[in-house]
Amino acid sequence: MAIVGSNACGKTTLAKNLNGLLRPTAGTVVVAGRAAEDQTVAQLSRVVGYAFQNPDHQLFCATVDEEVRFGPVNLGYPEDQIRAKVEHAIEAMSLQSVRKLSPHTLRLSNRRRVSIASVIAMDPQVIVLDEPTTGLDAGETKVLMENVLRLNREGRTIVLITHDMRIVAEYASRVLVMTNGRIVLDSDPRGAFADLDVLRNCGLVPPPVTLLAHRLAKLGIPKDVLSSQELVLRIVLEKGGAR
Amino acid sequence: MSGFVDLYTASGTILHRMDPRVKIVSVVFLSLLAIIITELVYLLILAAALAGLIFIGRASLSKTLIALRYVLRVMVLIIILWPFFDPHGTPVLFEFGLIKITLPGILGGLETAVRVFCLAVVWYILMFTTSQGDLVRALVKMGLRFDFGLSLSISLRFLPTFTATVESIKDAQRARGMELDKGSLKKRAMNYVSVLVPTIIMALKTADTLSLALQSRAYGARADRTYLRELWMRPVDYLALCISIAIFAIPATAKYIFSVPL
Repeated sequence: MAIVGSNACGKTTLAKNLNGLLRPTAGTVVVAGRAAEDQTVAQLSRVVGYAFQNPDHQLFCATVDEEVRFGPVNLGYPEDQIRAKVEHAIEAMSLQSVRKLSPHTLRLSNRRRVSIASVIAMDPQVIVLDEPTTGLDAGETKVLMENVLRLNREGRTIVLITHDMRIVAEYASRVLVMTNGRIVLDSDPRGAFADLDVLRNCGLVPPPVTLLAHRLAKLGIPKDVLSSQELVLRIVLEKGGAR
Repeated sequence: MSGFVDLYTASGTILHRMDPRVKIVSVVFLSLLAIIITELVYLLILAAALAGLIFIGRASLSKTLIALRYVLRVMVLIIILWPFFDPHGTPVLFEFGLIKITLPGILGGLETAVRVFCLAVVWYILMFTTSQGDLVRALVKMGLRFDFGLSLSISLRFLPTFTATVESIKDAQRARGMELDKGSLKKRAMNYVSVLVPTIIMALKTADTLSLALQSRAYGARADRTYLRELWMRPVDYLALCISIAIFAIPATAKYIFSVPL
């Protein structure tokens, strides 16, 4: 699931309510069927893991291994479970080659993967990733998102806060569009990118290929195209149909 | 936190427009005045006059109370405790074993409390009528090295930013199941390591970036630095300076040269 919207529209505020870092001034937050208000952040973090935008805000250990262990140790798991969870997290974020290094010496993409791994190690059902691809190049983004996709296939819910509509088009199955603290749209990416006006009001622009499809609407191309392959396929089909 | 650091309230009153150098000098003289006066009546007059200055500067009552809350508490403590520790003179109002309370003791407590109030209010007036920028500018013009002035204003400027970073780091660690205030003393101390290390690293990184930003804007390019905003003394500033010197000098002369009891 992706949460999108302009800066300061409330994406992070919404996400921080999920694990109790922020508490609502009105209304109730229900996490996995239980009211969040009578659970501590530590209790909620077993269900909802939250990886912060800036990995430097949380890294403090001497090695990547220790960093990843910190969460499950805090939650008081027995040693053999901790080991298994750490192994899984290191593998899930492909950190095997750097696990004995100091997290501070790693490049940004790896520091971010360490911070995400340290959340995975707590084995939460839901993982919130706050702008995980900011500052990464195309290759790093692809590798990271493939790892995240694998976690999703394990049956975990991924809540992705992002400004990158191409990632949304490629990976998300559900999109929440927010503006001024409200959710204005809740749909799959196809539905979300079909209405340009709503998106524009929220300061968003769909991926170029979707914009192109909107321009080609006159030729009978559907507006909800998400990838270049799909557009090519549609154009070929359309031409074949015209003949 | 940020409200505590920056008391300044933007406004256009006569106190706000006064040259910051004059304000600093006046504040020093008024502080000295509060220290040399020992008669309760005159201290009360001074306190009333300073309260009048707060009014002229249009400080909001709520902000003033927040800024002075610790001072007010200390005043109450002084008034209550002073007579117990200073049982000099007569008449004795109350005596029981070692405890002896005298009228001069009570008056002494009141006097000290009012003096503390005057000192706090004088500096509060300076802080709420002068922006941090003006304050540092004035100190530099009065002879402080510009480097020190800049360091001072940068540290003041970064206090709120730094607080926000620390809060964010705490949140990040709490999201990893850390409970800062739980467990044994040793456990709690270890918990704070997880906040301290990222904080120090962020501070070093910020300082590094900041120094690059300063250099890229040609900091220190020439020794005789020019200023975008010059401070000019207007006639009214000279007048204010003279008045504040007189307010200090006249009672001081009367007390120490002509032995008038003040």
